[in-house]
Amino acid sequence: MSELSVSAEPIVSARGLTKSFGRKQILHGLDFDIPAGRIYGLVGHNGAGKTTTLNAMLGLTSYQGTIRVLGEDPFAHRAKLMENVAFISDVASLPRFLRVRELFALLTNIHPNFSQDKARQFLEGTDIRPEMKIRTLSKGMIAQLHLAVVMAIDAKLLVLDEPTLGLDITYRKRFYRRLLEDYMTEERTLIITTHQVDEIEFMLSDIMFIRDGEMILHMQMETVSEKFTQLVVDSAEAQAQARDHGPVYEETRFGQTVLIFDGVEREKLEPLGRISTPTISDLFVALMQRPTANPETAR
Amino acid sequence: MDDFHASQPIFVQIRQRLIEMILRQQVAEGEALPSVRQIAGDLSVNPLTVTRAFEALVDIGVVEKRRGLGMFVTSGARAQLLAHEREKFLKEDWPRIAAQIKALDLDLRDLIDTDTKREGQTK
Repeated sequence: MSELSVSAEPIVSARGLTKSFGRKQILHGLDFDIPAGRIYGLVGHNGAGKTTTLNAMLGLTSYQGTIRVLGEDPFAHRAKLMENVAFISDVASLPRFLRVRELFALLTNIHPNFSQDKARQFLEGTDIRPEMKIRTLSKGMIAQLHLAVVMAIDAKLLVLDEPTLGLDITYRKRFYRRLLEDYMTEERTLIITTHQVDEIEFMLSDIMFIRDGEMILHMQMETVSEKFTQLVVDSAEAQAQARDHGPVYEETRFGQTVLIFDGVEREKLEPLGRISTPTISDLFVALMQRPTANPETAR
Repeated sequence: MDDFHASQPIFVQIRQRLIEMILRQQVAEGEALPSVRQIAGDLSVNPLTVTRAFEALVDIGVVEKRRGLGMFVTSGARAQLLAHEREKFLKEDWPRIAAQIKALDLDLRDLIDTDTKREGQTK
């Protein structure tokens, strides 16, 4: 069936994706496939290589190795690819001298899959009016306009690089709510990077952790909750017993010890204290400190 | 419902919330439940997670999908869920509660009396 063949084909596929700036290697050969209909969270420290990876997907940078987006080489066929790919980046800016209405007219001319009606519809309920100049909009309004623009593009892949940077919590919530209610479908794929990962963790179907240009975790969220367990213990005795199960991370906070385990059965840990699934940010902190297989890049 | 890190998977928590909506008749039989998109947006959870919760209810026949319209509570759903939830309570919750009552040396009759008294006071 056609539906099956579409979903079987990954939206993004990378093999040995490597990128160097001068002598410095930024990406050390990433391999991954991103299937359709999923919401991916890409997590890493500043400078870990997140934006470089996204830029390679978007055809904004050259690279070594292979990357295919919707079956195409993004660097060679960028214009064609952009018909089906949309993105928001914290550094991308809208032309400030235009009016909102002029921006929509411009996009209608240059983008075959942009719907002006949809964009206007998305702006209903906001304070943005078609006659307003982009220059006069607040940061939150710019973000709303940006979102309206990308949501009005009938794209298969939407890349959001720190889409809510600098926005207050109300705007951030509204932003993601819009995305889930009015945009996400089974045919669309979302890739999001954000430093406020706890805000979106339950939106995600998959996560990727990048550390120093290497993929250290690529997993479905469901698997994360099966594989990783957080245990909070109150006594030194329980702590010692817990240590026997080989935690990947241990931290003492406010008189309690928090341990994170990888692949240890919950039944074994349950008697020792309170168990839960670690938050993405706790897991990130835990795994970022694990010794790396490539000591040259670990600093 | 708001502690998604608790040991219960999110889709189970959402399924339970949907069951409660039907049991409390917040959504009557034959009526539409909130859409996948709406729930996903409200809770900031992945739509696939919400779909999974609905599918579990479709499987036991208390919810039906009407193409292009959404998810609807089937007729007889409430009676079926009541039976299901009662059985679950007796099988899973009651033994634990009963053990705790015993461990705390409480008298079941006293508990029922205090409960009815308290109810009488609030009414």
